[in-house]
Amino acid sequence: MVFKPFAPALLAALAASLFFGAPALAADYQTDLSPMPLDDETKFVIGGRGDATASYDGKTFVVKGDFRDMPSNAISAHVFTSPIAGMPGPKLFDLEVTKSTSGTISGSFSLTAAQAQMLRTGKLYIQINSEKAPAEYPWGPKGTLWGWLFPAYETVGPNIPQQDHWFLPQYDVPSR
Amino acid sequence: MRKKTGFFLGAAATIALGALGATAFGPAALGQGAAGPFTTAQVNDGREAYAAACAYCHLPDLTGTNDAPALGGIAFVGAWGNRTTAQLFSKIHLTMPLGGAGSLSEKQTADIVAYILERNGAKTGGTPLTAKTAVAIGSIASGKPPAAAPRTAQATPKPKPVAPVATQPQSGGGTQAQTSGAQESAPASGAGNAPAQSLFQRAMAGTRVPDPGGFGLPTRFGLIHEGNIQNYQPVTDDMLRNPPDGSWLMYRRNYQGWSYSPLNQINAENVKSLTLKWMWSLPENGTLEITPLIHNGILFIWGTSNTIQALDAKSGELLWENRLGPAPRRPGPGPSTEETRAMGLWGNNIYVNTPQGYLYALDARTGKEVWKTHITDEKMFANNSGMVGGSTGGVIIINGRVLVGMTNCGRKGDDNHCYISAYDAKTGKRDWKFVTVALKGQKGGDTWNNLPDNERKGGETWIAGTYDPESNTTYWGTAQAKPWRRDLRGSGDGATEYANSTVALDADTGKLKWTYNHAPGETLDLDEVFERVVVTHGNQKSLLTIGKPGILWKIDANTGKFLAAKQTVFQNVYENFDDKTGKVVYRKDIHNQKVSDWLASCPGPQGGHDWQATSYHQPTDALIIPLSQSCVFMLGNGSQTYYEMPGTNGNNGRLSAYRARDLKPLWSFQQRSPFLTGVVSTAGNLAFVGDFDRVFRAVDARNGNTLWKTRLGTTVQGYPVSFSVDGKQYIAVTTGLGGGSPQNKPATLLREVKRPANGYNLFVFGLPD
Repeated sequence: MVFKPFAPALLAALAASLFFGAPALAADYQTDLSPMPLDDETKFVIGGRGDATASYDGKTFVVKGDFRDMPSNAISAHVFTSPIAGMPGPKLFDLEVTKSTSGTISGSFSLTAAQAQMLRTGKLYIQINSEKAPAEYPWGPKGTLWGWLFPAYETVGPNIPQQDHWFLPQYDVPSR
Repeated sequence: MRKKTGFFLGAAATIALGALGATAFGPAALGQGAAGPFTTAQVNDGREAYAAACAYCHLPDLTGTNDAPALGGIAFVGAWGNRTTAQLFSKIHLTMPLGGAGSLSEKQTADIVAYILERNGAKTGGTPLTAKTAVAIGSIASGKPPAAAPRTAQATPKPKPVAPVATQPQSGGGTQAQTSGAQESAPASGAGNAPAQSLFQRAMAGTRVPDPGGFGLPTRFGLIHEGNIQNYQPVTDDMLRNPPDGSWLMYRRNYQGWSYSPLNQINAENVKSLTLKWMWSLPENGTLEITPLIHNGILFIWGTSNTIQALDAKSGELLWENRLGPAPRRPGPGPSTEETRAMGLWGNNIYVNTPQGYLYALDARTGKEVWKTHITDEKMFANNSGMVGGSTGGVIIINGRVLVGMTNCGRKGDDNHCYISAYDAKTGKRDWKFVTVALKGQKGGDTWNNLPDNERKGGETWIAGTYDPESNTTYWGTAQAKPWRRDLRGSGDGATEYANSTVALDADTGKLKWTYNHAPGETLDLDEVFERVVVTHGNQKSLLTIGKPGILWKIDANTGKFLAAKQTVFQNVYENFDDKTGKVVYRKDIHNQKVSDWLASCPGPQGGHDWQATSYHQPTDALIIPLSQSCVFMLGNGSQTYYEMPGTNGNNGRLSAYRARDLKPLWSFQQRSPFLTGVVSTAGNLAFVGDFDRVFRAVDARNGNTLWKTRLGTTVQGYPVSFSVDGKQYIAVTTGLGGGSPQNKPATLLREVKRPANGYNLFVFGLPD
């Protein structure tokens, strides 16, 4: 299997952004939604899994996704900014979310140039909050699932070896 | 592939959490001097309960060790000052002790909380503490113990044991009455003055008690079965330099640390028919991460309780057994300080280091003790609170000397340090030692922010070193300086040489040849302490290593000069990593860390790579590396929460191959469970590896395709090996439990994985007859 770190559209978007200062063409992003930080005390109320994609055409940022198996009902979902992938930050947008343990998320927003830059550089993430998740953690409250939006990349299933390059954000996500 | 240095991180890093509006995590108000919400009686009971249930890992003086955070001082108050006594109660009650979560009664928990608070300066009052008592810890505790004469917990209290307490062997190998989880313990139960109940009674009453997998600990020690092996061929220096094809004489099979077997009878074409030839049950309890050794058709293995056994490698028949002891301190899986990872063979002896710091030579033919010594000569810590010096990494035999590393090396303020030491293999006399932190006046001694020598701690050696016979150089990795947080150890911006480094020593003298510090001033428990692999391409002799940050390093083995590096997993701890020079720059919020701040780290302490060592598959020039993918969000060193690494879709485990010549990625596959064994590769183009969820598999070393797998009784953990007897090739691997972050972090993250609490076994596979 040959790895293609960037779809042609992404490369075009990258080139356009370098020229125009902001992405001008459609760009696709993806993330898996996974449990937020937990320990042996909180792992029973922080759980579930989901997937989300995002697109940005230079004007509109569209987020779609689904989630499942959360320990309690979702109460809200948001897009957050992040100083660096894997590290929480301030809230940016509210998403529509199914008020259940499984369901969907969605939203459509306009991005400023700075926000578009954050999207392109892996500094936006999605977070779903649920009823029984802890209220006191600084990255919450009630944070249950989260996932960083990265430029779409090829994935293989578990146990399937991938030859050659392996996606790593620090190599494969634009830094500027 | 595009390479990015200056990996993305804006100046926003340091404002992130502040912007979250987490007012509950602002600066603590420390030690107000008001009476605490607990009584003197609770403190007194808590002292004993702490000694029985907590001191084992957190130490009697609450200073913590390894994966167990400090429960006293600034580290504790920094992490807990803004949380309440109810939160501390809940944390302890639901998650402690290690391996027995939920087993403490409410009274025991309240007593322990009271004792911890008192040790941090909180004053006793007239109101008993309960689960619902919610007082901000920072309002009553300063982190300073009371001025009165210290009454710290002793590790082995006599009255009212709370958790099962293991008996220790008497000198001379006598026997003692067995204590086990189900029979021991008569703790006070519940709040108030209810009659004490046994664990069994509490279990019958519906209270959660320590897992019934708390199996009996051995009660008899010594040479249980004496051997009489005839025609044993002594192991020579030449054999160690050029191991016979069918043998496995040392940790990673050859001095260069390849874990590569030249055997090819079992190969990519026929491995699908691999079958179990025999198995052997090893002692339960404790921590098992061992490498079997094979010589002359005899398989030597270490089991918990320091049980050394010799088995017929073809049939599995026991030839001798010497149970050196002591038993693990309690039943059930043990911590990361109770294992050893490698024994050694030389002459007619087998050499064993024990987690307690003893070094033994046993006659490989009989199991009889030849000599015994201790790496610190049984030096005791102050107040007689335990022996200085442990050893869990194993040994390597070079030029008639036994080289061994050290853990449990010293506590702040004492004059003990970690060192690597060498002993005459014939007599046990210590020949040399090399202290792994630079002291004042030594080269690198000016990298500790002028700390006095007795505050320069760390530099443990968690696995045995490797060796280059041509240059007579032995290579060891060292752990980071301790405490591992820079804000707690006082080393400022210092590089803290020779911690978190590769050290190259003259094998005959222990003299330092060169050192390479991989992440100067390491501060995240992301040490670079694991295997060092020597590979030669033409005139270039390189040392390859990978540590917890998941960076694969290539260093000139003769000079220590940086050659190349490759990041293998996602990391966000360095705001700048220059893979042309190897220079790392920590994120600003990490550099400026405070014990009262939450901090995100990818990888977390599970490590992008840990002790599960790499194999060098020589035919394809491939380093086959077990990797892990998880992160941590930690509050000081007091609380850790874990999450999946971004971009991994929940796959904690990864096995990847990189070409040694240029560090090019060759293949990778990932799966939910992490790999808990080292890798052994063979000339049959196979690589064997086992995982957390009990799967042992063979993959094609050329492309990563799984060609065979089986599911064993519990976690496949240790170091698989390959050997041959009478012309037939075998693969041996152990299953077992215990250990530190590689066991504990996935146990929290992978809730769906169910494993038995027992199943310490040795499995030997071969082709059908």
